[in-house]
Amino acid sequence: MRTQFDVIVVGAGNGGLAAAATTARAGLSTLLLEKHNVPGGSASTFRRGRFEFEPSLHELCSVGTKENPQKIYNIFKELGCEIDWRYEYNTFRAICDGEDGYDVKLRAGFDNFCDDMEKAVPGSRESVKAFFDLVKKNDEALAYVYEKKGNPNPLVMLFKHADFLKSASHSTEEVEIALGMPEKARNIMNTYWGYLGVPTDDLNAMHYLSMVGSYVDDGAAMPYKRSHELSLALEKSITDAGGEVWYNAQVSKFLYKEDGSCCGVQLQDGTELYAKEIISNIIPNNVYGMSDPKFVPEKELKLANARTLGMTFVTIYVGLDCSKEELGIEDYTIFKMPFPNPREQFNRREEGTYYVFNCLNEVIPDASPKGTCMLFFTVPLMPGDLPENLTQYNYKKWKNELAEVYIKDCEKSMGFDIMSHIEEISVATPVSFARYLGTPNGEVYGYQNENWDSVINRSQAQFTDFTVPHLHYCGGHSVMGDGFSSAYITGHDTGIRVVNSIKGGK
Amino acid sequence: MKKPSLRTLNPAKFLKAGPNREARIMATEAKPLPKLNEYPANKIAIALHPKKQVVKVTNIVERASGVKSYTLKATTDTPIAYFSAGQYIVVNLQIGDYLLTRPYSISSSPKQAQVDNEYELTVKRVDGGLASNYILDNWTIGTEVTISAPAGNFTYEPLRDAKTVVGLAGGSGITPFVSLAKAIADGDEDANLMLLYGCATKNDMLFKDELDAICEKCDKVKVVYVLSNDKLEGAEEGFLSAELIKKYAPEGDYSVFICGPQGMYNYLDTQLPLLGLRKKFIRHELFGEYRNPQANADYPECVEKSVKITVVCRGDATTIEADTNDTILVSIEKAGIPAPARCRSGSCGWCRAKLTSGDVYIPKDVDGRKLADYDYGYIHPCCSFPLSDITIEIFKK
Repeated sequence: MRTQFDVIVVGAGNGGLAAAATTARAGLSTLLLEKHNVPGGSASTFRRGRFEFEPSLHELCSVGTKENPQKIYNIFKELGCEIDWRYEYNTFRAICDGEDGYDVKLRAGFDNFCDDMEKAVPGSRESVKAFFDLVKKNDEALAYVYEKKGNPNPLVMLFKHADFLKSASHSTEEVEIALGMPEKARNIMNTYWGYLGVPTDDLNAMHYLSMVGSYVDDGAAMPYKRSHELSLALEKSITDAGGEVWYNAQVSKFLYKEDGSCCGVQLQDGTELYAKEIISNIIPNNVYGMSDPKFVPEKELKLANARTLGMTFVTIYVGLDCSKEELGIEDYTIFKMPFPNPREQFNRREEGTYYVFNCLNEVIPDASPKGTCMLFFTVPLMPGDLPENLTQYNYKKWKNELAEVYIKDCEKSMGFDIMSHIEEISVATPVSFARYLGTPNGEVYGYQNENWDSVINRSQAQFTDFTVPHLHYCGGHSVMGDGFSSAYITGHDTGIRVVNSIKGGK
Repeated sequence: MKKPSLRTLNPAKFLKAGPNREARIMATEAKPLPKLNEYPANKIAIALHPKKQVVKVTNIVERASGVKSYTLKATTDTPIAYFSAGQYIVVNLQIGDYLLTRPYSISSSPKQAQVDNEYELTVKRVDGGLASNYILDNWTIGTEVTISAPAGNFTYEPLRDAKTVVGLAGGSGITPFVSLAKAIADGDEDANLMLLYGCATKNDMLFKDELDAICEKCDKVKVVYVLSNDKLEGAEEGFLSAELIKKYAPEGDYSVFICGPQGMYNYLDTQLPLLGLRKKFIRHELFGEYRNPQANADYPECVEKSVKITVVCRGDATTIEADTNDTILVSIEKAGIPAPARCRSGSCGWCRAKLTSGDVYIPKDVDGRKLADYDYGYIHPCCSFPLSDITIEIFKK
């Protein structure tokens, strides 16, 4: 058994897979360690009866097509992965209860989206269009910031990219209000906040725009065989390049030299493994828990304390013994909201029924056998939202009762007859995410992207936040925040950085 | 109307964002972070799904000739993991060099796990049954056993199943139903159970006294004994036929749960279609160890009796001899190589491994792989048979 590598990547989540594939394909001896027996972290599948459920992916942004490839498409291609991409060209349907309620459906494509928005909120078109115009300006500015490795010339920024600076330092809602967007249009526009986990009054405008812009511009993509297909394609990329992937390999300790640099890891069975560079796809909080405290820089511990753990979820997976046509389902994504305002949706999450409804068969008709369909409910929660009296003994009863509330709300508000057709059902909660991901309190989104700790601020500080030599971080908790696409990008970027540092490039 | 613009926003705010963030971080106390097992979600996850549990045999009851129940009690202060009636635990055994695992349904109630920190397993002697015979011959009071957390999906799900479960049990397949009956009587499951228990003779009936006592005190549980080769007052004669099921099933919807020997499954395959039940109302317990693949019509011809399997684990390779009639998992275990395994029925994926060369036969009815696994060479060794020399990468137990 080999114990010395160029690179050890800890955790085969999306970031870890992309990082390991990048370093292995650059010719570095690479070992990817994963505690579970399948890759992907959240990007996996599970089977129940004749259904194979997607556990986490709603849709990927920044993929694009063969003709018009975007960042994610290119990363997978560069890493030699063949993905059977499928596309969704409606952004979402949003159903909001109450007096100011609405039921709107918005198509992808900037013109379509603006048309649909104007129809829903007459007089909103100009402001919505102006909002999207910022996407292009932001892309230009961001390219410049990236080029300068997060340290751009302030004067160039002030004169050339002033609108970017404004949207990069203000919340989504501040920017929308400045543009004169009517309240109802703002609420509809901000429907996607749950994908990033922060209500739009504290969510960086640049960050939100880049995501919404991508969904509206390119449509959304997903792999034909659920996200397990993405994970296995990356795994193959690693092993084809001579890299090793060890499953059931739980890291229990990070190893350091006396000078404070990271030099390896120890597995639960005592095996010590060493490398020139260590990439952690696991959240810094967990790395600190597995490190001798004297090697954890005080500032990193302050940062971890200053941050809020990111969102987690209750997710409900349902296999039905009837087709989506029989039920009258015509949408892939429906956001259901008890209140129109994102802040209220967030603050009152435990009393309301805010959730995302997905029907995969809408995009992939044969995702389940003929005459059946699959539903996926996502309910955002914050870590710590669990009932105080929850124990291993009342846990199953609690999660079933919760699932029933959401399914019944869906039946009532969308008119689908679900209950009588349930052939398979599985309910995941923060406890399930804690079990499979091993994250603190089952967080899924890393750290909250509150505006003080926005993607743009993290990006500026990425070389000063984490200072342990030879230890790098990637994944949903790192620079670009949560989301499949962000995790792949940070994994890929980190891989390139490590390749350069070992090979002596830039 | 004015063109929308950002003129009211201040770009200079951006210049302060970095320093503000830095100041906020530096003003925060560098407290030690909570340990992972202190977070509520992690605490419950660890309690329900421990990596392993070490238990001790504290009681043995002879249920019938060649059938014993073993009470397994936690050996530490950590509570034993709770479960849902119908779940199984995996027992780890070492017989000489042979390392093997076996799943056994829990026959005790969830309440007993919660209150007394114990599970009861019931083991029946089988001709040539390596694990069961070993347990019956070797386990005594005080024997320490390493077991898995409870697992499996043969459970009552209130959002999916009908209010009444018609349980079709055969022989020692009664065990998960005993647990379910107790859970209903304890109020831990909200369902009605109409149990049809098929046995050859009255001497083969297990748990009769316990089941009768539950029926006595709980009107949600009813049991009908069905004997194929014997007579007993109040019992039905014959098999678990469609006609018999109709006789005892309630009006309206009901769920059928099935657990028993292969012969019973084969017979029910001819009977269940006569009932016209929707698929959602039929639940099978796992099929168990797959035997005699050669008997299947799609099994290829001219397969050698013996082949070589090269087992790779963390880069180290070992080559072993294998009988093509054994599953790949069994051959690996016989060679004393520790390998992960749970359901041993092709379903749970715990043994999932990568076939890097050679051909295997996977019976269609137990092929529980994920779609993408087909494309990337993954198989479940617990229900895959080698057809040629093969190389397989397994992951450490």
